[in-house]
Amino acid sequence: MSSPGGISVDTAIARARANLETMREQALQVIEASISALEAIREPTGPGDMSEGREQAYRAATSLIDAAGPFELLDLCRAAAGLCDLIGALDPEQPFDWRIVTVHARSLRLLQTLPAEATRERAHILDSLSEVVKRKLAQPG
Amino acid sequence: MSAIGGAQRESALINLSGAVTMVVDDSAFALELTGQALMGFGVRTRHACLNATEAMEILKGQTIDLLLVDCEMPGIDGFELVRWLRHSGLEPNAFVPVIMTAAHMRRPRLAEARDCGANFIITKPFSATTLLERIMWVARDSRPFLEAGGYVGPERRFRNTSAPGEERRADMILKRESEAAKAGGQAKGEAA
Repeated sequence: MSSPGGISVDTAIARARANLETMREQALQVIEASISALEAIREPTGPGDMSEGREQAYRAATSLIDAAGPFELLDLCRAAAGLCDLIGALDPEQPFDWRIVTVHARSLRLLQTLPAEATRERAHILDSLSEVVKRKLAQPG
Repeated sequence: MSAIGGAQRESALINLSGAVTMVVDDSAFALELTGQALMGFGVRTRHACLNATEAMEILKGQTIDLLLVDCEMPGIDGFELVRWLRHSGLEPNAFVPVIMTAAHMRRPRLAEARDCGANFIITKPFSATTLLERIMWVARDSRPFLEAGGYVGPERRFRNTSAPGEERRADMILKRESEAAKAGGQAKGEAA
């Protein structure tokens, strides 16, 4: 790292950002696919499908974070991370409230649609989601 | 503004061009994102692997200088890969700096994350600045390597150097769970 030559830290970061920027369109497609995958998840009917459904939701949320993170789409990351926190913390043997997935999918869609300057609306959505996650984690089981 | 931490001035020169780097991630898109960020830092990803098995084969035969690996992967996951590497006896690869990345860390896996032998775990979202800061930090990580009670890896406590930034998501999960447990206890008390 300290060998002669090289580039400044500033240049390295600027170049990395420029490289990442060329992938923004692809990232937005991945985000769209992840939100669509969450929207498509329905409450499973059989017990075997329960954990698979939860895993699908978890995977969709993490792939959204993967894609949104480098572009600092932090509202989307925060909303998706809340869903992951909830799925990761709940006992897989216990019944799962599937409305949580629907609420997160709708909120993510809304966050994705709202203009960046709608900061109050964005904050309100995120606060509501935080409240849902907090309440669900507080429930026994 | 890059706002990199105090460890390195923004005008300081870094030369990572000679580093042989391996990135392991089951998502081709995430692999490409990491590769693009690294390229900006002047690092060419020599080995980009979509699974741990492929990575293991390469690690058996070729020396690397830095390993970036995703925690959650189907089949052999990132934790298992790092644990295997640390116990492999493959020199010098068994001692290579390892940065693990995670879109999210499940609460029951936090202990695995601490005990697998990685130098650092970054939870997403992370920016190019954070990634470079962590790479520079692990390159200078002077913690002694330990082999104790089944654990092989850098000493888990940070004595003379502080870790770069907080393990924010893990902290948040623990805090939230503690708050939830308290709230649950209160609700039960009120119901009784």
